Amino acid sequence: MNDVGIMILVALVFSGILLWLLIPKRKSSGAAAASSHAEAIGALPTAKHYGYFPQIRQALSAADTRYLLDNAPPQVARQALRERRAVARRFLQGLHEDFSNLARLGRIIAALSPEISRRQETERLMLSVKFQILYALVWLRLSTGNLPLAQLEHLTGLVGRLATRMDEAMTQISALSVGQLSGRINA
Amino acid sequence: MNPLERFLLESALSCEIILCVFVFTRKVQRVLPLFAIYAYVILVGSTSVWLTYERFGISSYVSTYAYWGSVLLNAAVRSLAIAELCRYGLRAYRGIWALVWRVLAGLSVLLLVRVAMDAWGQPNKIAIYGMTLDRDLALASIVILAVLLLFRNYYGIALDPLQKSIAMGIGLICAVDVIGNTILRKILTGYLFSWYLTSQKALWPALRPQIRYMNDMWSTIHLFAFMFTMGIWCYALRKPAPAPSESPVLLPADIYRDLSPAINMRLATFNDRLVELLKP
Repeated sequence: MNDVGIMILVALVFSGILLWLLIPKRKSSGAAAASSHAEAIGALPTAKHYGYFPQIRQALSAADTRYLLDNAPPQVARQALRERRAVARRFLQGLHEDFSNLARLGRIIAALSPEISRRQETERLMLSVKFQILYALVWLRLSTGNLPLAQLEHLTGLVGRLATRMDEAMTQISALSVGQLSGRINA
Repeated sequence: MNPLERFLLESALSCEIILCVFVFTRKVQRVLPLFAIYAYVILVGSTSVWLTYERFGISSYVSTYAYWGSVLLNAAVRSLAIAELCRYGLRAYRGIWALVWRVLAGLSVLLLVRVAMDAWGQPNKIAIYGMTLDRDLALASIVILAVLLLFRNYYGIALDPLQKSIAMGIGLICAVDVIGNTILRKILTGYLFSWYLTSQKALWPALRPQIRYMNDMWSTIHLFAFMFTMGIWCYALRKPAPAPSESPVLLPADIYRDLSPAINMRLATFNDRLVELLKP
């Protein structure tokens, strides 16, 4: 591609990004950003999908799989495994949502903080990018049947522990934000 | 001036006058003073160029210098309006702003160095030199606006509708300028370069219609995009400019210091587990 093509491509890519970011979304205006941030902290569900973990673990257990393969007709077993993988994919999608909420919590806290660490922010950005790539790879392997379903157990356990701690932290922050906002309104 | 040039120039001038009336009556200067100055500079620049065309003729050296001077002045004031957009509403978020302005300033310096280097190597002809500068400054404007909006989107701090419309208008005109100037510059430095060489004077009569055709086409595209942009801004200004947004209530610094490393550590552990999942 010559320099004219490159220049036009760069201009189109950045204009596309600009347009995409300028298309109105559900976000509120900048004037309401402060209160929406404070509300968002309280409203962020950290791990709603984790709540379904016991049922999912049962459905994806290795023992269940073995039982199916040993006792059910091959066609029924294959169908059941396909459906279980679909369930696992949806669950993985839910875990992605949980992860995104936790990362968003980090960003909201950063936005509302009077000082932030460049290193921390860069690290979180890199972690989020890395997560997206890894998530896509896990999704792909799960879809192609190359990932043992039981391994998801480790992942869900981690999110659950994280969610418990973050729920506690968010309750504290939410209380603090509401208190500060009320103080500002009363002043 | 031919009828097309006259029509385009007068239409653009009318749009600029309407925009300036909106800017003045909506008191935009109270909220976005640099954008208001940008709108006035566009009008003053276009009027000066028009008067120069009338006085000296469109093909004169004075008109050429007046046109490119006006284009580059517009680009400079547009950069200030973009800087104002960057600062607007974000400065109250002290932590984020400290990070964002450094990144944007660093990026601006890099882009300006690139602009200077690119323009340095151009043939010493005002049109090609001006076109290169204008194109690179327009590209820099798009990049800065895109990075600013990425930051705002990442931290969930949206722009007000008026600022969005201003950013959209600037983005549109810059994109058209980059693409148009790139193509035109390629043609003028390519097979039409003889137009600038006195040693090739014999070819000039044959080249004149092509030069005129290129100029007309580019002026039409550029001015239509410009008028469309004015339309976007005028539409956004149909309502009074909103009052500057209130400062957000910030959290104590301890919360970030305590929670941010914990969140990052957990996110890192989560990624480690995903890596483990992928191991054979």
